[in-house]
Amino acid sequence: MVIGVFALIILRLFYIQVIDGSYKDRADDNVLRYEVQYPPRGEVYDRNGEFLVQSKDVYDLMVVPRDVTPFDTAMLCGIVGVPIEKFRAELQKAERYSRRRASVVLKQLPKEVKVKLEERSFPGFYTVYRTIRSYPRKIAGNLLGYVSEVDERAIARDSYYRSGDYIGKSGIELAYENVLRGDKGVKVNLVDVHGIVKGSYQNGIYDTLAVPGTAITCSIDARLQALGEELLAGKVGSIVAIEPATGEILVMASSPTYDPDELVGRESGNNYMKLLRNPRSPLFNRAVMSRYPPGSTFKIVNGLIGLQEGVLRPQDTYPCHRGYTIGRGVKCHEHWSPLNLIDAVQTSCNAYFCYVLRNILDNPKYGSVKRGFDVWADYVRSFGYGRKLDSDFLDELNGYVPSSEFYDDRYNGRWNSLTVISLSIGQGELGCTPLQMANLAATVANRGHYFIPHVVKRIHDRDSLDARFYEPHFTKVESKYFDPIVEGMYRAVHKPGGTASIARVDGLDICGKTGTAQNPHGADHSTFMCFAPRNNPKIAVSVYVENGRFGATVAAPIASLIVEQYLTDTITRPQLVDYVKNMQIAYPYYDRKKTK
Amino acid sequence: MTGRRQNSLGIGSVDWSSVLIYVALVVIGWLNIYAAVYDESHASIFDVSQRYGMQMIWIGVSAFVAIAILLIDDKYYHMLAYPFYWGAILMLIAVLFVGKEVHGAKSWIVLGPVALQPTELVKFTTALALARYMSTYTFSIHRFSSIVRMFAIIVLPALIIMLQNDTGSAMVYGAFLFVLYREGFNGWIYVALIMALLLFIFSFLLTPEALLALLVLACVVSEGISNGRWRSKIIYVASVALSTLVLYFGLNLLLHGRLTVYASLLISVLLSLVLVVVYAYRQRLRNVYMYVGLFLASLLFTSTIDYVFNEVLQVHQQKRILDTLGLESDLKGWGYNVNQSKIAIGSGGFFGKGFLGGTQTKFNFVPEQSTDFIFCTVGEEWGFLGTLIVTSLFALLILRLMKMGERQQEPFGRIYCYSVAAIFFFHVMVNIGMTIGLMPVIGIPLPFFSYGGSSLVAFTILFFVAVKLDAGKRESLIDQ
Repeated sequence: MVIGVFALIILRLFYIQVIDGSYKDRADDNVLRYEVQYPPRGEVYDRNGEFLVQSKDVYDLMVVPRDVTPFDTAMLCGIVGVPIEKFRAELQKAERYSRRRASVVLKQLPKEVKVKLEERSFPGFYTVYRTIRSYPRKIAGNLLGYVSEVDERAIARDSYYRSGDYIGKSGIELAYENVLRGDKGVKVNLVDVHGIVKGSYQNGIYDTLAVPGTAITCSIDARLQALGEELLAGKVGSIVAIEPATGEILVMASSPTYDPDELVGRESGNNYMKLLRNPRSPLFNRAVMSRYPPGSTFKIVNGLIGLQEGVLRPQDTYPCHRGYTIGRGVKCHEHWSPLNLIDAVQTSCNAYFCYVLRNILDNPKYGSVKRGFDVWADYVRSFGYGRKLDSDFLDELNGYVPSSEFYDDRYNGRWNSLTVISLSIGQGELGCTPLQMANLAATVANRGHYFIPHVVKRIHDRDSLDARFYEPHFTKVESKYFDPIVEGMYRAVHKPGGTASIARVDGLDICGKTGTAQNPHGADHSTFMCFAPRNNPKIAVSVYVENGRFGATVAAPIASLIVEQYLTDTITRPQLVDYVKNMQIAYPYYDRKKTK
Repeated sequence: MTGRRQNSLGIGSVDWSSVLIYVALVVIGWLNIYAAVYDESHASIFDVSQRYGMQMIWIGVSAFVAIAILLIDDKYYHMLAYPFYWGAILMLIAVLFVGKEVHGAKSWIVLGPVALQPTELVKFTTALALARYMSTYTFSIHRFSSIVRMFAIIVLPALIIMLQNDTGSAMVYGAFLFVLYREGFNGWIYVALIMALLLFIFSFLLTPEALLALLVLACVVSEGISNGRWRSKIIYVASVALSTLVLYFGLNLLLHGRLTVYASLLISVLLSLVLVVVYAYRQRLRNVYMYVGLFLASLLFTSTIDYVFNEVLQVHQQKRILDTLGLESDLKGWGYNVNQSKIAIGSGGFFGKGFLGGTQTKFNFVPEQSTDFIFCTVGEEWGFLGTLIVTSLFALLILRLMKMGERQQEPFGRIYCYSVAAIFFFHVMVNIGMTIGLMPVIGIPLPFFSYGGSSLVAFTILFFVAVKLDAGKRESLIDQ
């Protein structure tokens, strides 16, 4: 009997101690508390080493309600600068959550406050180190993006994140989240039955230090970006400038914009809602998301396709008397006639490119307009239109290049080159992002190839960026066909009768093409794309100002100023700056929405 | 009886291996109390402001008591058995009036700086009184009047302790049943007790109809074992089953489903009993009547279980029983102790986490860690190796005590030694059993381990009186 009972006890002991391993885990669950060590987030510099985004040290005030001894509430609230009632409410919330576990009372207190709190020492309260973003130049809100607490979906997708962590939500913060965030560390503590920390587990051999986020150097030129945003103020539109030889984006401005500091800190939620409700949608990054008709800047693409296809020779002339008269017809403005390709680019003749497009589409080589159209669309896509350019910028959208099927659907298969004649002058169904238009400027600057535009120049702990940014992407048009186009763009700026004389800066050899895009939302959009200097170009720019009327009215002056600032580091035409800044443009389309 | 023996300590005749086991257990116990309440700010094991320091003092007291017992002539125990017994009873009664309540049990007497628990000492006096009574010439374990007196000696202190609301300590007196078994008490009573216990457990684990079916089958099978004639058993079981089905499906057509399976089975079994009695009469099988009686008694017993469980037991006792049977799991409430205790012991693994390395122990996850749940510390810090050694030491000690009993020439010493063995056995079985979830939680100490002066001294007295009685007998053997 005695032996039997003891044998039973020993068997049971053997089972729970040696065979069943689950008790070990449960003991660990009891006693181990993992305390997260937050890393500082990587900082972002502009191409000249100036801060675009800084990480600022802040401290979250935590409380463990059961450890709180009576304290001078008024003094504590005075130090942290919060009304007593609000502070009491937070404390009650913490108490409801748990008396023994820590909860956050106040977030993102500055270092001075932390030091003062520690001098006074309030039992039960302690601070946790975090970093938040700050923006010394207050520019490029949409480009840089913002950071906020992770939502449930992000936590479900990536096990790295825990509730209360911060994550990049848009722009560079989102695209380079994995680089910027660093790695959280963990400190394994032993706690007793009351949850009170009793020391480090195994002298800290399982602890890991937080790895600070890696800094990034942006390809953005902060001063140029600031100038761009200044010039766009009050207007709706965008500026994209690219270094043609590398694809590095120098400016990416979208207007209206916002002060990125507004989306940091305690008021960020309210500010975000305010921005969201703004009828002009400041959170919408027009530079990479909007789908604009490219207007006359697109004539360049049609000219190049015609040359490559052999249906157009530079010396071919066509007559134009205020328009193209076949079919519904396309109107044109006053200029000499007949004119050749260079003249047509210089004067932005509509009729000339109607002839060109029809010759491409109706090329007998392809047998049908449908086949001809498919060939044309392939060319267009080779310039980067109708798809994402695969930049490092995740907010980028596709734009739109129609297919022949699209027209088959729309016209029940009964359509011809005259039906789609608007495409010759960049109207109709085409939709392009300003980034794609700037990329066209860079492609022409490079005489036929481009590098994928990207906003990051260097990640600090890496030797190079992704390989795709170093490969030239060739269009389907050979380099030699670009010369007459470039000549036309040069003359547009520099010769009488050119459409963009206003953009001329002596010595900079700006080559440009204006665009005036009809649209259903009011006055024509003003657009301008250019590069400079003519030989060995350093910058390619595309400016798009909604409802800005002629390309020369507002887009060309802005682009010209950007080029001048970038190439010479000075502005010689302050009156042009004033002219752009003082220009009043009405946006009934947006502002009407407000009253609804 | 020679005069020479009175003055000699008789070193050579003491069962030193038992004393060695005792010393080992006390020292291991002390180290574990140190580990259980260890706190870096009071790191010295001799710090008397802490429990381990106090325990050290009590160990000293125990050593003194042990030496005193070995020196005092053993004839006094026989002589003083009754005065001790009544003195202890008076003390128990006094505690009822002037005692201090701890954890709901009014069982402490406070004398200046020390608090004593007389309950612990009463085990000793009861064992002495029982041994004395059962060794008288007029005593016979088969005579009714003797049995009544014998039980009176055991039950009287248990009852008073129950009044103190210390049910756990009172249950220890059940241990004397082992002694009575050794002394030839009617074996059927033990069979009945074991069956009652099994019925009690099964009444929770099984549905009423399953329990009833099991009872019927058990009775039929045991009857079959004693009488054979298996064909009639099979016919009987089949017909009961068939009539149950007929009742359930047939009668329910009239009663609109109000007849449960249990009711149908009960009706058919009860009706069948008439046939069984007729069968027994015809076949002249007397023992069949016994089985019918046993069946009816069991039926009566199971029907009272619910009442007893719900009305007599207190809520915490109900919960502890349900928790042990695995019927209720409330890891944050009633089941917290046992769950944390199992985690502590289970997480020790084979070799344990090392002295002072137990996280469950050190950070107070197990309540009552230095007293009732001290075994957790052994399990967590010393692992299976430690628990194996400790349980083996206890088993050895108990076996040695039983051996001491067997080599006594007179019933007094034998009964006393067996009583001590039984008390130790009960304490160890219940205490270790509860820490690993084999037993419901009953708050009694683990001998020599649990913190507490009264229990350490009382267990020391119990043990050394047995050793002394044994030494005396061996010496007298040597003398002859």
